[in-house]
Amino acid sequence: MLNSLYVEGDSRLHRLPAGPKLLLVLLVSLAVFLTRSPPVLGAGAIAALGLYASTGIGARAGWLRLRPVLLTIAVVALATVLLGSVEEGIVALLRLTTLMLVAAAVTATTTVGAFIDVVSRAARPLERLGLVRADDIGLAVGLVIRFVPEVLSRYDVLKQSHRARGLRLRPTTVLVPLMIQTLKAADEIAAAIDARGIRAHKQPTENQERPT
Amino acid sequence: MDVRFVQAGASFEGRVAVHPSTLSLSERRIGIIGLNGSGKTTFARMINGLVQPSEGLVTVDGLDTASDGDAVRGKVGFIFQNPQNQIILPILREDIELGLRSRRLARSEVQARVDGVLGRFGIAHLADRRVHELSGGELQLAALASVLVTEPALVILDEPTNQLDLRNRRLVQETIDRLEEHVLVISHDLELIETFDRVLLFHEGRILVDGPPDDAIGRYREIAAC
Repeated sequence: MLNSLYVEGDSRLHRLPAGPKLLLVLLVSLAVFLTRSPPVLGAGAIAALGLYASTGIGARAGWLRLRPVLLTIAVVALATVLLGSVEEGIVALLRLTTLMLVAAAVTATTTVGAFIDVVSRAARPLERLGLVRADDIGLAVGLVIRFVPEVLSRYDVLKQSHRARGLRLRPTTVLVPLMIQTLKAADEIAAAIDARGIRAHKQPTENQERPT
Repeated sequence: MDVRFVQAGASFEGRVAVHPSTLSLSERRIGIIGLNGSGKTTFARMINGLVQPSEGLVTVDGLDTASDGDAVRGKVGFIFQNPQNQIILPILREDIELGLRSRRLARSEVQARVDGVLGRFGIAHLADRRVHELSGGELQLAALASVLVTEPALVILDEPTNQLDLRNRRLVQETIDRLEEHVLVISHDLELIETFDRVLLFHEGRILVDGPPDDAIGRYREIAAC
């Protein structure tokens, strides 16, 4: 079940350290809101698509990975058209698609460990101020990234179970077990984090089994 | 390595999982056997503080598992029944490194330790592999490496040969036999623990036999046959 969004490769983006890549995501997320011009945003989306393709992920795997997010973006764009105008819908579609492609390119070329390292380093000044535990922030971000493919895998297994038993997919029979399974997996990971002393600076009280 | 239970027991929502018991565990290789639900895993989790005693006291080299949890877990490594639950990050090398993160060691030392533990278990070639691609035996060795990189004095393995084919089972047994650390193994695989120094037989939350493997295994066979 334990899978990864990381795609092995040796592209230019793979060789770039995680810090500059996260900075790129930040800059792109700001840049797409500096313009409302569909041609400019369209050019940005094409460039982002090129960046995503340069990771070597392949068309089919790349499409399958982005399909659920694209569906969500399509819904948002459609709602924007209905509530605003066609032009606003196109702008929303292009902005979100560009962001999604750049973020997908970065996650495909950066290991979870590299993410944890860079986020922990970035949070270190806040730790010095006594506001956070930098390693915890890094670990939390890493775990979120780690759980994305796991949730998708669990959804696939549930879908196959429905098919095997001749059942129709219904939100109640998919989402509820998916949530329960994900929470259970999160509990198991929390226990593993405690058992391996990964947060050794802190007493493991939150996840510890407490007998009565 | 000295583990002590002083009238220590664990209950969950009124149900007694482990009845209070007093004993000391210091042998190098200890086995725990018993039927499903007999309290084996709860007992083992009490040793590294994953389960705190609801009464009594558990200590490891004098450290209280309830109040010195971090220090205890530094001494006692725990490998879960399903090693997939043990492994947190998807690439093996990264996952093993994660165990050292809180120690804030120099990058070169982290690398050296990870390479050392991978080499020790003969899995250096798997370092950059994705964990979900590993076989059952490889996964068990990976979980072992992820725990032993922190250099615990005692390693607890919960059913390490569960669901392994014969080849992988042998691989894991040979690895456990070669471990220099103290080991405590929970197992239904009686062959695995038959040469151990001491075996505890659990039944309905109590230690029914505590002694040489032959005594405990013989009694276990009688119980299982009922």
